[in-house]
Amino acid sequence: MTAAISTFDPPLSQPGYRLFDGPLRYVGDVSEGQIGVVGMPSDWTHSSRLGTRFGPDALRRATTLLQSMRPQGTSFDPDTGRRTMPATDWLADCGDAEIIAQDVDATTQAIGTMTEGLTAAGAIPLALGGDHYNSFPACLGYSRGLGKRAPNARFGYIQIDGHLDFSDSLGAWGSHNHATNARRISELPNIDVSNMVWVGIAGWVDGGDLALIEEQGGKVFSASDVHKLGPAEVMRRALAHAMRGCEELYLSIDIDAMDAGYLPGTGSIVHSGITPRQYYDLLDGLAEAPLGGLDIVEVSPPLDPSERTEFLAAEMLFRILRRFRTRSVTEL
Amino acid sequence: MPLRSAPLPRMAGHLSFMRAQTKAISDVRPGDLAVLGVPFEDTSAPYAGQSLAPRALRETSVYFGWHANPQFSHPVDIDARQDISTDGLHERLCDLGDFSMGSEDAVHATLRAVVTQINKIGACAVILGGSDHLSEKVQGALPMCQTAQLGGKPRDASGFHIAPVSESTTLTKTSNSARQLTELTEWRNTSRPLFVRFDLSVFETSLSALCDQPRLGGYDLDTVSHWLSALGQLDVSAIMLTGLNPSRPGMGVVKVGQRLMVTALLAFIYARLGFGIIPPTRQISKESVTT
Repeated sequence: MTAAISTFDPPLSQPGYRLFDGPLRYVGDVSEGQIGVVGMPSDWTHSSRLGTRFGPDALRRATTLLQSMRPQGTSFDPDTGRRTMPATDWLADCGDAEIIAQDVDATTQAIGTMTEGLTAAGAIPLALGGDHYNSFPACLGYSRGLGKRAPNARFGYIQIDGHLDFSDSLGAWGSHNHATNARRISELPNIDVSNMVWVGIAGWVDGGDLALIEEQGGKVFSASDVHKLGPAEVMRRALAHAMRGCEELYLSIDIDAMDAGYLPGTGSIVHSGITPRQYYDLLDGLAEAPLGGLDIVEVSPPLDPSERTEFLAAEMLFRILRRFRTRSVTEL
Repeated sequence: MPLRSAPLPRMAGHLSFMRAQTKAISDVRPGDLAVLGVPFEDTSAPYAGQSLAPRALRETSVYFGWHANPQFSHPVDIDARQDISTDGLHERLCDLGDFSMGSEDAVHATLRAVVTQINKIGACAVILGGSDHLSEKVQGALPMCQTAQLGGKPRDASGFHIAPVSESTTLTKTSNSARQLTELTEWRNTSRPLFVRFDLSVFETSLSALCDQPRLGGYDLDTVSHWLSALGQLDVSAIMLTGLNPSRPGMGVVKVGQRLMVTALLAFIYARLGFGIIPPTRQISKESVTT
């Protein structure tokens, strides 16, 4: 019989990484105005190449490593031309939702419960996929939480993506999978398709889905539009369209809008031609947008042995969260 | 073989190019696009794995199998904002399967015989390689043929070579401007068969790491697609895809190379069938497209 160890009592720390090396907190302990991170390590609703269930961990690791290499004090930000310093207590990592691989409904509710709690408390849920289906439960919870916090409020929706994901169903996967998430979101009570915008769509799309979006007033910007108009102009138009009559914005970042030559570690690659710089400029275009919730999906580390995909995705988070994670020195 | 009546997951079911019907060579008809795989390894290649290319290309092609998937209404090219016609695709695209591997001499003889037969029928052979050494056997099966070449090692000084730049060729194209497309029509002798060699190395190396012999200075997808669309409007007897090695160390899971090749090949197939998605201003054909 082994004697109980009673004298060794080291200080314990949370194993693994948290996003941006933030603190680990329960949903109920995240404060108003903070970013509340929810991991969605699920890829059972993808139809071909799996691996995104390792995405949340990869994003946590990559953001932590990149953060450690950034200036810890006051510094000059060459992208904005401002002097900034890191903000404090701006983000809390709530860990992963309970994923039940064989039960899409239970997984949906588990994710939705977390983002609902965060939204209702006035925090901003940031959900880490997982395949793109998980964007629906993340937005479902956001929608419910918004309904509690501001019953009459409506939200606009921007999806940066290589694909529309607006199918009503997909083959053997039925109505809840990575090709139907936007369609399911369009059915939520406090959003209208006319406030939904897609940016970066590439290659071929289903003509019926495209027609349905445009007939209802939705807007689609292709990868070619990004090239022709420039990312800043595309996002200016996208934001203006999405926010008509809305108080908040929900943003879904599907990394696969970036050309697969740059970013191969994702389930459904496209050759869109959107470069990393263009993608970051698109996100910079949302610097002052009234973000109510967001997700980043389709990071699949096993599909990119070079690991550059997760670092490109981490940089996307650095961009879209710039105003939260930094403070201008003039504000101090 | 009838169209399927229900959606099928991409990885399920019988694997054929773009979910095309499978045929015996004796059933190929004039004007058909007959796909055949040559999973042949080049023993002098720097890496093993080229023989896996035909299967990889077919697997990727299923993504574009709209015509055989009743789930979709119709495909739209979102960049061009143009409907992609699929009329007749299912009737005219067919997959003959792969060669059975035997001795090198037997493979060469079979390849020559198959290409000869498809050419006599009046169909176009779409050959999924494999080693590019076999392209010489295809040329041998097409008497007096002209060769247009995208990427790869130039083997025929009289051919029409399209990127990457090579000092040993007489006609090297680095873009597809109207003038250069005109040069293509001037070079083309319609009394002779036309063979198109399409090697992965035509693409800019930074776009794909799955090429055994990458070269800098290649084209982007849009440019290659436009060249293949232009070539597809000519009376091509055979096109051979080479240079893809899906097992390049650590990169096989990425599948970027096969997606690039198949996406570009679509432009050829669509032009060949007479319903391109390329704007008319980019089209230059003086030959009648087989219908």
